[in-house]
Amino acid sequence: MTAQMFFIGFFGLAGVWFGIVVFRTFSMVRSALALLFSQTAIGAMFLSMQAEFLGVLQIMMMATEMSIMAIFMVMFMMDPGGLGEMDMTHQKRLSLGAGIVSFMAAVAVAVFVDWGPLASVSPDAAQQTIDLGLELLGRSMLIFETAGITILTAMIAATAVAIQPVKRTREQ
Amino acid sequence: MIAGARQGRPSALRRLVAAAMARDLGTFIIPGPDIARTHGLDIEATGLHRVTSPRHASVLLVIGAIPPSLRESAAVVYAQMARPRVLFVLGTDKLFPLPAADVMADLSQQELIKGVRQLRSAFAEGAFYPEVSDFDAPVLQVRIEYTCPMHPEIVRDEPGSCPICGMNLVLREAQAKAGHLHIDHQEMGASMDMETASTHAHGSHHSIDHGAPVEYTCPMHPEVVQDEPGSCPKCGMDLEPRNAPAESNHEHHHMTHDEPVEYTCPMHPEVVQDEPGSCPKCGMDLVPRDIPAESSHEHHHMAHDEPVEYTCPMHPEVVQHEPGSCPKCGMDLEPRETQNKQSHKHSGMDHNGMDSDMDHSSMDHGDMAFMSMIDVTKDLPRSGDGLPMEWIEAPFGPFFPGLPSGLLLTLTLDGDTVAGSNARSLIENGELLQSSSMDTGSFVERLTSFDPLAPVAYRYLACRVLENVAGMDVSANTANARIGALERERIASHLGWLALFAQQTGFDWLMRRTTSLQLKFQHADLEQIVALKPAILTLTKRLQRTPLLKSRMAGIGLLARDATLRGPVARATGIGDDARSTDKVYTTLGFKTVSRKTGDALARLHVRLDEIIHSLALIEAAGAIELPVPTIIGEVSGTGEAVVETPRGVARLRLTLEMGKVTTAQLDTPSTHHLALINPLIEQQELGDALLAVGSLDLSPWEVRQ
Amino acid sequence: MTTVLLLLLLAVGAYLVAVVEDWTVSGRFRLAAPVLAGIALLGRESIVPRKPDRIFFEVAPFLLLVSAILGAAVVPLTPDLIITDMATGALFINAALVYVLVALLMAGWGPDGAYAMIGGWRFLGQLIAYAMLIVMPITAVVMRAESLLTTQVVVSQAGVWNIIYQPLGFILFFIAAMALAFLPPFDLTTSKGELAGGVEAEYTGVRLAVFRLGRLALIITLAAATVIFYLGGWQGPLLPPWAWSTIKILAVTTIMLLAGRYMPRIREADLLAWCWMLGIPLALLNILLVGVLVLVFP
Repeated sequence: MTAQMFFIGFFGLAGVWFGIVVFRTFSMVRSALALLFSQTAIGAMFLSMQAEFLGVLQIMMMATEMSIMAIFMVMFMMDPGGLGEMDMTHQKRLSLGAGIVSFMAAVAVAVFVDWGPLASVSPDAAQQTIDLGLELLGRSMLIFETAGITILTAMIAATAVAIQPVKRTREQ
Repeated sequence: MIAGARQGRPSALRRLVAAAMARDLGTFIIPGPDIARTHGLDIEATGLHRVTSPRHASVLLVIGAIPPSLRESAAVVYAQMARPRVLFVLGTDKLFPLPAADVMADLSQQELIKGVRQLRSAFAEGAFYPEVSDFDAPVLQVRIEYTCPMHPEIVRDEPGSCPICGMNLVLREAQAKAGHLHIDHQEMGASMDMETASTHAHGSHHSIDHGAPVEYTCPMHPEVVQDEPGSCPKCGMDLEPRNAPAESNHEHHHMTHDEPVEYTCPMHPEVVQDEPGSCPKCGMDLVPRDIPAESSHEHHHMAHDEPVEYTCPMHPEVVQHEPGSCPKCGMDLEPRETQNKQSHKHSGMDHNGMDSDMDHSSMDHGDMAFMSMIDVTKDLPRSGDGLPMEWIEAPFGPFFPGLPSGLLLTLTLDGDTVAGSNARSLIENGELLQSSSMDTGSFVERLTSFDPLAPVAYRYLACRVLENVAGMDVSANTANARIGALERERIASHLGWLALFAQQTGFDWLMRRTTSLQLKFQHADLEQIVALKPAILTLTKRLQRTPLLKSRMAGIGLLARDATLRGPVARATGIGDDARSTDKVYTTLGFKTVSRKTGDALARLHVRLDEIIHSLALIEAAGAIELPVPTIIGEVSGTGEAVVETPRGVARLRLTLEMGKVTTAQLDTPSTHHLALINPLIEQQELGDALLAVGSLDLSPWEVRQ
Repeated sequence: MTTVLLLLLLAVGAYLVAVVEDWTVSGRFRLAAPVLAGIALLGRESIVPRKPDRIFFEVAPFLLLVSAILGAAVVPLTPDLIITDMATGALFINAALVYVLVALLMAGWGPDGAYAMIGGWRFLGQLIAYAMLIVMPITAVVMRAESLLTTQVVVSQAGVWNIIYQPLGFILFFIAAMALAFLPPFDLTTSKGELAGGVEAEYTGVRLAVFRLGRLALIITLAAATVIFYLGGWQGPLLPPWAWSTIKILAVTTIMLLAGRYMPRIREADLLAWCWMLGIPLALLNILLVGVLVLVFP
């Protein structure tokens, strides 16, 4: 139990620390990867809380997403290495305020919500996944999945329609 | 001890490590493996293994005499190598600026093997040494300069912030040599300009000559005026002198030195204050600007007396008299002045040196709560796909593993797409004649060593042109035997090209196969060549069914029919251009032109493969192989011309002889023409495709006439 | 104990892979070559480029090694010989190996060199191509096993190995695994002829040794994954389970290392086009076929 608590705390702090690093660097790439490692730390936190599926999913998805974000930053930002040390923050007061309010709200939720009785043993991973699916989608799982596929199809179709047919230079 | 030893007392453990290192020597070859093969050297057979990055090399292997510019690049390579490093030199002693060789040997396989043995023992014993000195060469001197990450035109000698955008300047290293040259150029330019200016003044504006001083201005930025020559602070161009009328000079003085300075944010022109500091909106350092008399007054008036109103950057309809936040979106309201925006904006823009096409209205209305990417990247060059990205310039060569050695290809890369390129040969092989006149024997030798990638072809060319001038013919047998030698070289050369292609595309099997075949063909006699024929046929068949080969090459490096094309490159576009087809000796041997239609890299591969097989048939028909020997022509005078189809295409040589001495020589080579093709050929191509396209031209930097 | 044993085995495996790789490159079979190469790397200077992103530059080789080892943690060599039999093992391999991408991006960005940087970003493009072809065939495999447990995946192949049950998935996974290990002809990241070594170009000495070790571990992890997903894992007649695992993994490794020598490097555009236009539809078809098979022959 203590080891578990230690790891939860450790990864939690690591997540927060990397989150801070995101704003403490001028380099876009560092910023993006710090965000990635912050998310990875949260994934590791899930793992130490024995929520295996969530943890693995978080660790897996974030790596790709943040790397793609990094390349977009490099592509579109000038000076992605942050060599010019330009300050990118703005509206500091507003964001400070928003941050404090959200933090308070999160703490309030954590403290004041009745979480129910503590589970003595966590269910095994397969059961967790089933529970999670039911919790999120209830009995409408099939409906949601169908809707998901439909939306995906619509997105692909819309993109296909929107793209101008390009002349293929390779197959001249 | 070896010159490039790593610092450390040679303890027992270190000796052991050194012994292990001596068994595993990564070798960087200068000028390149292509030259090694033409000298008949099999590097891998000696146990040295070739590496493609100087960082991974322990041995720098220099093969034969190399021109000074290549030696400079070689010194840079040597400096990049991790210690312990050794310099192993074959067949030359001209090395400067490289250090002295650790091991030297002659240019032959036996000597190479012997040298490697020496090298290993020298390495095992001397890899560590308590005191080591740094390698230094003029080419390695760097000059530190500072540049803005967003505005590459801003280059300063000292750190500071960018006058355009206020970002901190970033340290960059420039080669001292280039810098030095630049300074030279500046000085020269300045003094020349001074001269022209003074003569000019002397000649026509006599009255101004004494009274009016010369002032210097930028051709692009007329507002930049100063008393001394130098470069423009905005664009870095050399300032040009002009004669200043007395009053304008005075005015200028007045403007630069007496006017008050105010500070403004490069991104938020509405932020103006009297003291340096940082912008309250974006935190950037404010940049100073001069206030011209009238606008300064106006501005002062504006800044202090005009009513200021506050508006939301997102909701222009929200306007109030006091600062605060927007009731709609909560953003901080931004101040704006209600009047005289135009002149204010103008002065701000002008003195910030921003390009005039900057979006004034958006700046003015303070739409930008923070740096808008659209505004910031607006002036960046666009590539074909319309994405504004930072371009980088990367040199490929002169020892790049996927390109002919000696070729320097500087690519401007937009992502991994080529936005622009500059290709040149670093081998200064311009002068054919070492002195004003040369005897014919040494001229033939000179041409033999002209291009190490095609010595026989150029030797043959020299012999042919001399015979033409003298009006002599060689016997049919000799003519056939010469063709045997030329075609053998063609096979070896095409195999060498295949090896380069294989190296570039990571096709290891092909590289191994063609390398060994090329070494075998180089000095093969007729019987050996006939014996090698099945191997060649197997190779071609194998290439036909290699997966990915077609998709890798088809459509890459597409060239249309063009008169500037030569040799296999031309024949791949369907041009039947081949000097051999008009040569009687060839036609009697049954020569037929090989050609393809599509004009891409794949067609070039097929043309070369077909030519290899056809050359085999020609050698068999010729029935003998003999290097061209110059005929003794005596003291002939006259002019003559000859053409020879070298492995890369037609080479044309025109000679003038006086009393048996060569006095003028004009040589036209295929690679000279092909070098000029590179830029349009690879523009907007993905890097891998661009390199393949350049490689498929089979350039020989040695024969490029610049 | 099992962990230590398996890590040792991984080290031995990496060594054998290095011997095989040396054989494919030099044409000679030298058992001592990797030792010599390793010592030589340790004996040489480890240069830091002039203006590196120091953190990235230092961390990248270790991240590569760590992600490969984490991937190996869920691979069973015998029913009991596994570091951790995670309930999400089949997914976890993928999650761990995504960090290969992160390591290569960092290694590319770190040294501030054009070749390395292009190499690093190229791998991101490569990931876009191969990623789906790793996940979707695994989906079909776990559909048959009805479990994400890697041991369960092996047990599910007791009758017929997956290479026969779903050959389409095997081909796709094998190709994608080679792309993930940036082996030729997918070595766009470290290509010698196009980028003079790319991501590897600026690394020397100890750092390069760690980088290469990480790559060897990655290759062996992927070969092992191929074996447990498609080749029946430890199962086989006569020989003990560990022997079968070893033989199969080494065989797959050898094929992976050899294949690229006989063809030119793939074009990045082709890789993307084929993976998305051909590979993903085929992978979907594979899932469908396996789904039908699972329902028809439970």
